Amino acid sequence: MSTPDELVTTDAITPGNVESITTLIGAYVDRQGRWNDDGGDGDGAAGSTGPVSLRSASVVRHGRPGLLSVVAGVGGNDIHVVVGLRAPGEEVVFLADADESPLGIFEDEEGLALAYDATADAEFMVLLLDAVTGEQADPDRVRRVAVTRDAVALSFDDRLAFTVFQLLPEGGGPNPGLELFLALDRVGFNHVLAPITRWRIDSTDLGIVQEYQVGAAGGWVLALTSLRDLYASGGAPEQAGGDFAAEARHLGTMTARMHLGLDEAFGRKAGDVSAWVDAVESSVQGADPGLLVDEGVATMLSDLRASGSRCAAIRTHGDFHLGRVARTDQGWFVVDFSPGGVPAFGAGAVSEDGVAYRSPLADVADMLWSFHHVANVAVTERDPSGRLGLESLAQAWEVRNRRAFLAGYLHTPGIGGLVPPVRDTVRKLASAFELERSATKLAAEP
Amino acid sequence: MSEAPIHEQPPLPVGPASANPPLSAPGDDPRWFQRAVFYEVFIRGFFDYNDDGTGDLPGLVAKLDYLQWLGVDCLWLLPFYPSPLRDGGYDISDYRAVHPDYGTVEDLGTLLREAHARGIRVIADLVINHTSDQHPWFVESRQDRTNPKADWYVWNDDDQRWPEARVVFVDVERSNWAYDPQRGQYYWHRFYGHQPDLNYENPDVADAMIDVMRFWLDLGLDGFRLDAVPFLFQRDGTSGENLAETHAFIRRVRRVLDAEYPGRILLAEANGWPVDVADYFGDGDECHLCFHFPLMPRLFMAVRREQRYPITEILAQTPEAPRGAQWATFLRNHDELTLEMVSDEERDYLFAEYAKDPRMKRHMGIGRRLAPLLERDRRLTELLFALLLSLPGSPVLYYGDEIQMGDNLYLGDRDSVRTPMQWTPDRNGGFSRADFAQLYLPPLMDPVFGFAAVNVEAQRRNPSSFLHWMRRMLAVRRQFPIFGTGEFEALPCANPSILAFVRSAREEDRVDGSGANPVLGIHNLSRFSQPAELHLGRWAGTQPFELLGRVPFPSVGSHPYPVTMAPYGFLWFELVDEAAVFPSELSLLGGVLPEESL
Repeated sequence: MSTPDELVTTDAITPGNVESITTLIGAYVDRQGRWNDDGGDGDGAAGSTGPVSLRSASVVRHGRPGLLSVVAGVGGNDIHVVVGLRAPGEEVVFLADADESPLGIFEDEEGLALAYDATADAEFMVLLLDAVTGEQADPDRVRRVAVTRDAVALSFDDRLAFTVFQLLPEGGGPNPGLELFLALDRVGFNHVLAPITRWRIDSTDLGIVQEYQVGAAGGWVLALTSLRDLYASGGAPEQAGGDFAAEARHLGTMTARMHLGLDEAFGRKAGDVSAWVDAVESSVQGADPGLLVDEGVATMLSDLRASGSRCAAIRTHGDFHLGRVARTDQGWFVVDFSPGGVPAFGAGAVSEDGVAYRSPLADVADMLWSFHHVANVAVTERDPSGRLGLESLAQAWEVRNRRAFLAGYLHTPGIGGLVPPVRDTVRKLASAFELERSATKLAAEP
Repeated sequence: MSEAPIHEQPPLPVGPASANPPLSAPGDDPRWFQRAVFYEVFIRGFFDYNDDGTGDLPGLVAKLDYLQWLGVDCLWLLPFYPSPLRDGGYDISDYRAVHPDYGTVEDLGTLLREAHARGIRVIADLVINHTSDQHPWFVESRQDRTNPKADWYVWNDDDQRWPEARVVFVDVERSNWAYDPQRGQYYWHRFYGHQPDLNYENPDVADAMIDVMRFWLDLGLDGFRLDAVPFLFQRDGTSGENLAETHAFIRRVRRVLDAEYPGRILLAEANGWPVDVADYFGDGDECHLCFHFPLMPRLFMAVRREQRYPITEILAQTPEAPRGAQWATFLRNHDELTLEMVSDEERDYLFAEYAKDPRMKRHMGIGRRLAPLLERDRRLTELLFALLLSLPGSPVLYYGDEIQMGDNLYLGDRDSVRTPMQWTPDRNGGFSRADFAQLYLPPLMDPVFGFAAVNVEAQRRNPSSFLHWMRRMLAVRRQFPIFGTGEFEALPCANPSILAFVRSAREEDRVDGSGANPVLGIHNLSRFSQPAELHLGRWAGTQPFELLGRVPFPSVGSHPYPVTMAPYGFLWFELVDEAAVFPSELSLLGGVLPEESL
């Protein structure tokens, strides 16, 4: 556990620069095409996103090279852009996969400058890191590790990770995912990258610098590795060399510890299983009503209602799947806390003052569904025609790893206080949440 | 030399002397063991020179040309001392002689002289914790409580002292104490009851053991593997392992070596976690080498799981050996593939993957040789040896693994992996001209691993054999001593099946000129082809040269470096400063070994 430093930059830009900054941000937004009103997924399709409304702009580093931190409203979103300023003719050290052309020209009392997306330039990012944390780094050892709709993440010297938030909460304020992450760190949950510095202006989070786990690989990729081995060798998954069960069990334990940490950090509310079942039913009714006709589903929901069971509601991850976790040399880590506890699906939530508390089994259900999803994606990749009959292997892999995950989760000391006391109710409630996830997810696909 | 052979052994062809230039003579290079490749020899099973059915020292001498051709740097001999052989020779009954089955002290002198002439050093097992109960010291000690050797062993009136000390061989021994009716007291033994522990509280014992070492070092031995080293002392309220007094004694031995026999080494056998075993390096003033036991099972785990984490996790927990010291690594040895240093869950997994037949299990491990463990998968075997030869540590090869020899599960205990070396497709695999029934163990004769199919002679004739591949790899390792002395840095890679790292010269090595260009190793732990994007920005401006073929690859820039890896493939690159590479030189960079030497 550590307490990150905080840095607040407050330098204002002269009113005379507002127009030129707005123009730069417009150029940046058009190039990225990530923040359209329809919530584009960042596939790089550029296009106009409507007018840019400048919210704030601060000087992070004066001079040339210089850095500006700009927050602007674009297409219904608040976005954050770090602009790098360079005197014409200065050498630029662009990172891989980055657009290398300047955003435009900028001029202030320090003279004319070419403006760039600073997250695409190693030297700018080293300067930004220095400004935010006081840490020095080698520009040759800066690399982008992730670019999403929400943020750009970079590593420095394979030692530090700097996530620059780009999509900000509406109206500013704390980043909800960061709040979860820092709270977990404060209570000693050590399956997260330790925070070094929280970068914010006023109460708006602009980024976070953390320790970097150099050997990390995504959970999704690791599961695919196991599945490839199974699909090639056939037979029972427990006899395959790439058996994932040990990993799934450890992932279950880590998930339980995350929930215990969230419980300690934010406390718990009383949850109502019957109300959650009603919510699941309502949600599935809207997405795929045919599922509710199934006798097994109806019985399951009916049993849950009749159970009268109580279950704690806590702050949860909200969108917990194999893509949010990574395997490191120190075990499993949660590497992505977006959407910051706001559940991607509706059931199982108790809202209080705009904060969602829900059953921890909703996160569990998300991960179980992820096992199902990855197994079937791997089948489709390997055998799109279905001629090889890999579905049975996928099913066996899924069953084995779901059991292992649940065993790791439910055998973690302390977790019994957060889930219903009867195992059958636990299984059925997780299944109900998973049903909702599945129905809603499939309905959302084109 | 002992009794002459009945039949003259046909000489083996010898490669050109220049193919494997010898290491500098003993004493010249105090860090030789950090760059060396060790080769573990089971003398009884290597070559029978006098046709009595048992391998011997003259037989090993006869095969030194082969070992020089292969390119090993140091032989590690299992115990060759007189012994009742109730524990594979680890129950020594005379510290200053050679077991008559193996020859004489003079034969050992011949071996040392001939090995050194070929640039090969020789170390030997020395059991200093205990002796056989037939050792004259113990025979005298047990006679009464007043004889001159009365307190050379650990005696007590009852068997209640030191209850905290675990019983090591818990499956066969019930206590660490055994009653001796002749003396009317109990004696202490951490291993078998027939192996009484020496009493190192008695300075005469410590002096005697150091004199034993001097005896063999004077003969020319290059060092010792100290067996069961953690148990030398006992203290009330402790486990009796790794005590400060034990370390003090090892430091004393080390001072003797440094002062009287510079360049000779101590190799510690202490099966434990690296952070604990590293204590035996001291501050560079105890053992030169310590075995790294937990790495080995994790190499096997990693290739079955097709992910690097079993390896990187244990390396992350491994303290760096102090300057002047080194880890010793191995894939297989004369014991079972021990699974003591893994979790219960990992042990279950490894048993399920590598010991499907219950007969394969031995004690807390797997009694199989490397090739059958890997189902004779050539690519996988090459990958594991590539890892062994490029990860930090001095690699120790086990005799026969260079030709992918098999095992015999139907032999008891650890004899399954101690069958005769397979030299030729002739009778007894060329190991011995004795009657088959006279052999210490039957050679393998099955159609897959038997000597008719797997033998040195056939593989030497075939340039694409595993033996030739191994020889080539050892030559590359010798050419790039940075594998032995360089720093290790794992590289990030999003693909979990890829293990990539850089070995680079330490700061102090750059000063004395022995430093070299960094070497990049990329290993695919998967049976499938895999892509890898490596971030090599720190080495931007270098050009990678593949080590086996000296093939130049595209230069490293600031962008991720893409590589496509074949199934179980590996690539080793020397990262050469582009400024030092001239196009005209590229054509001059030939293979590591001249073709005519193959």
